[in-house]
Amino acid sequence: MKRLLLALALGATALAGCDPKHSPDPVPTASSTYVLSEGQFGKGDGAVSAFNTITKAITVDAFGAANNGAKLGDVVQDMGIVGTRGYVCVNASGKVEVVSLPDFKSVATITKIPQVRYFASTSATRGYVTSWRGPYTNYLPGKVIVLNLSTNTVIDSITVGRCPEQLTVLNGKLYVPNSYDNTISVIDASTNQVTSTVTVGDGPRNVVADQAGNIWALCSGFTVYNSSPPYNVISSTPASLVRFAPASPSTLLTLPFSSGSPHQLRTSPDKTQLYYSYGGAEYQMSTSATALPTTPFIRRDFNGFAIDSRDNTIYGAVSTGYTTNGYFLHYPAGGGKVIDSVTVKVGPSGFVFY
Amino acid sequence: MVFSFFANALSRPAGGWLAGALAALLAASPAASAQTRPADTLTTRAHRLPEARVRAVRPERFAVGSQRVELDSAVLAQYRGGTAADVLGSRLGLYLKNYGPGQLATISLRGTSAQHTAVLWNGLNIALPTLGQNDLALLPISGNTQLAVQAGPAAALYGSGAVGGAILLRTEPDWRPGLRGSVQADAGSFGLRGGSLEARTASSTLAVRVAGSYRQAQNDYPYYLRQPTGLVRYTMQNAALRHQWSFSPDLAWRVGAAGELTAAVWLTDADREIQQGTSIAGSNAREIDQSRRLVLGYRRATTGGGQWAVRGAWFEDIINYSDQGAVSNSRVRTTQSQAEYTAPLGQRASLRVGAEAQHFAALVDGYGSEPITENRAAAFALLRYDPRPGLRLSANLRQAALPAGLAPLTPTVGLEWDVLRPASPPDSLAPAPGLTLKASAARTYRAPTLNERYWQPGGNPDLLAESGHGFEAGLRHRLGLASHVVLESELTAFTQLVDNWVQWLPLGPGGIYSPRNLRQVRSQGLEASTALRLRQGRYQAAARLAYALTQTQKTQGVAADTDPVGIQLAYVPLHRANITTDHQWRGWLASAAYTFTSYVYTDASGSDFLPSGGLLGATLGRTVALPGRTSLTLLVQSTNLLNRSYESYPTRPGPPRAFSVSLRLNYK
Repeated sequence: MKRLLLALALGATALAGCDPKHSPDPVPTASSTYVLSEGQFGKGDGAVSAFNTITKAITVDAFGAANNGAKLGDVVQDMGIVGTRGYVCVNASGKVEVVSLPDFKSVATITKIPQVRYFASTSATRGYVTSWRGPYTNYLPGKVIVLNLSTNTVIDSITVGRCPEQLTVLNGKLYVPNSYDNTISVIDASTNQVTSTVTVGDGPRNVVADQAGNIWALCSGFTVYNSSPPYNVISSTPASLVRFAPASPSTLLTLPFSSGSPHQLRTSPDKTQLYYSYGGAEYQMSTSATALPTTPFIRRDFNGFAIDSRDNTIYGAVSTGYTTNGYFLHYPAGGGKVIDSVTVKVGPSGFVFY
Repeated sequence: MVFSFFANALSRPAGGWLAGALAALLAASPAASAQTRPADTLTTRAHRLPEARVRAVRPERFAVGSQRVELDSAVLAQYRGGTAADVLGSRLGLYLKNYGPGQLATISLRGTSAQHTAVLWNGLNIALPTLGQNDLALLPISGNTQLAVQAGPAAALYGSGAVGGAILLRTEPDWRPGLRGSVQADAGSFGLRGGSLEARTASSTLAVRVAGSYRQAQNDYPYYLRQPTGLVRYTMQNAALRHQWSFSPDLAWRVGAAGELTAAVWLTDADREIQQGTSIAGSNAREIDQSRRLVLGYRRATTGGGQWAVRGAWFEDIINYSDQGAVSNSRVRTTQSQAEYTAPLGQRASLRVGAEAQHFAALVDGYGSEPITENRAAAFALLRYDPRPGLRLSANLRQAALPAGLAPLTPTVGLEWDVLRPASPPDSLAPAPGLTLKASAARTYRAPTLNERYWQPGGNPDLLAESGHGFEAGLRHRLGLASHVVLESELTAFTQLVDNWVQWLPLGPGGIYSPRNLRQVRSQGLEASTALRLRQGRYQAAARLAYALTQTQKTQGVAADTDPVGIQLAYVPLHRANITTDHQWRGWLASAAYTFTSYVYTDASGSDFLPSGGLLGATLGRTVALPGRTSLTLLVQSTNLLNRSYESYPTRPGPPRAFSVSLRLNYK
């Protein structure tokens, strides 16, 4: 029996030696393009990848590489940068991971922020994150959580509408789209009070400000499916792109989409162009336009899109489902032939530049 | 989207007396280990054609050339506080995807998915109709007296889902006269408490058994996570098994000389906190799982040596899940009926023909407010032919009718040929060599589940049944090394293909996820086992070593299905090895099981993986005879005896070394 056990132990050792070998990711040392990947839900493998645009080196899991292999968490949703700090919103982990840049060392973890979504800041010491409340289909009014970025603590919370999403800051005010409603909550950053609520289209998800000082909101519309076969769409409110001036929020320019659901409203670094993904393609639209573009800018279905303010080159994230690693494409300024195509983690969805 | 991710564990430090008892027992005898011999009932049982007595002719009789492992009640008794997950994973070394102790545990046989193993209870499929699979942690061992696993495609015998294989649970009447029974109490680490009882009695015409078990566990065990500051110790949260009941009365009644009426009931009820993974914050998910299963059967021998049997069954399966106000409830009622006739064809063959029907009525939150009903039916013919002693053949056929059309016709053929035949009765330990060649080929299918058809949004009522086929061939060898030692070995090579493999992809209206028949997956490998049995005086020992190589890859897909081809599927280990050993001497029992699993990928890209490693479990027992036909058994068991730190699923750290003590009072 001992001999048998010994043979087994040896056999197990031999088989254990077959584990795939990972060469450790290099710790990022220079300014980078940070690529956010959600990761597989429940696996805690959401990641921020650091891509060095000069050397083309990629650190797929920058947080793990810089922090002894610690996992960043479950569903990386957003990352903001203030000074030399990165603030990573990790949705299902309910936390904001604060890292130093460019080395991605952990500085602090701000925990207990349920369903944290997006980050914005109004100064070097003041940050805001949106946070959903309530369970799926029974959502409650959400919160904007106020962060002290000096102490990395929660100092206040502001009740807004349901499922607050990607907010923006303009002239001391926060514009918070409530994606399960049809409103934008306007918060005065000096008092942390909601000062007004602007009604836009159904399901606003992103809010951006342009160079003229207007606010644009991308509204996805609401879709209701038939409850019996063939489960077709039985009602839907149209998606729309909505513009208003902060001084006259009741005067809206509403540009409805004929069908489907656009997402990921972004701006060019000079804030004169808008970008969004719609119908499997990326569209570009001037902020002075009064009609939606009909011709795609890039015929790719991007799960994330951004223009690098350092060199105006273009990044598009391609998600290949929730079981395989996705990748991103890097285009020259103005579009054209792909410069780089790099594999990251499951569900790449956004870019941040430092 | 299917709210049935359950999982958990069992342990809280037990009292000091327990540790003392444990130390005493461990000091008294070296820990040993045990495993049952592979039960190839067809080769080791005497050659017997359809029986004049009313004993059931089991479907395994028609499974010539297949690989089976069977655990008898003596082994199951060691696990009677546990579940099928404990026995199949720890004892048999089969690969389970396990979310934690007591939490969701599903099996992958021959590289297939959880929906590709049929689970039958007394001949009836008990897969949850919504999910088309079983959580093995919800099947307490106490509910049944026999457990067997048949590997490989076998839809002709076992119906939908027998693609990677089938798990066969059965309560067999015990016709030994008189009253016998036992009552057991269990306590263990991390808040494990439990108890069970079993009573059997039989007269010449009536056999009755009643069994019940209860278990609870806090599962608040420590684990370590790698944080930027280093390894940090945490305590597992929201993973308790609040309670798990099983109650299973059954009876067999001989009616006249040729008839037998059977009735069996199996009630299970579990209330679990659902551990959501260490990277998910704030969940307080909880799930109630209740199953009520009743089956009535009647069997009658005919004067011509044939036998007919009818069975009717009613099941109710309830899964109620909630997390922070999000609720998903489901209730499915299933009625099943089966009728079959088994006839001798001359002296050397028997033929069974039969039909079955299933009716499902589902009230599931995910399907909308209206109940859904579905009917399925199948007809089958099974032939066993032994043209001469030492040569066994079978040929089987099943055709199922499903709501979306006919399932693929699923034939099976099998062969066993005793190249060298033992001269002595095969069940003795006499030193007679034997060598058997075996081979089988089968087509198989899996019916779409109710979720796949009716879930909204996305359910696809037009989904086709998955189809598959497979071949296997191998050898069984039996060698008597001495008058009291026998060595039995088995080697099987298999290859099988699953086509129309269902995958949920964002192909529905508006890009919603919807299941489609998209994929082809091939699995091939080797399974080898060797078992040594020894009996000398009052000492009995057995040891079994098993190894499996399983290579499973997607071989075809469509563009929308982004999982790459040619990469080992996630959660299918390439190598598995398992060693078990059992020793009995006078009143002592010692048993151990070690299971090694090579790394498994955790994504389809083949980039992330869980590392390889092994788990050791052991049991030490002592039975003392007491007056009045009673005896007392003390069992001390340990899981993860080597205290390995591991995850059986990402972000689900397994429990450290844990102990339990059981005290059983037997009467016979």
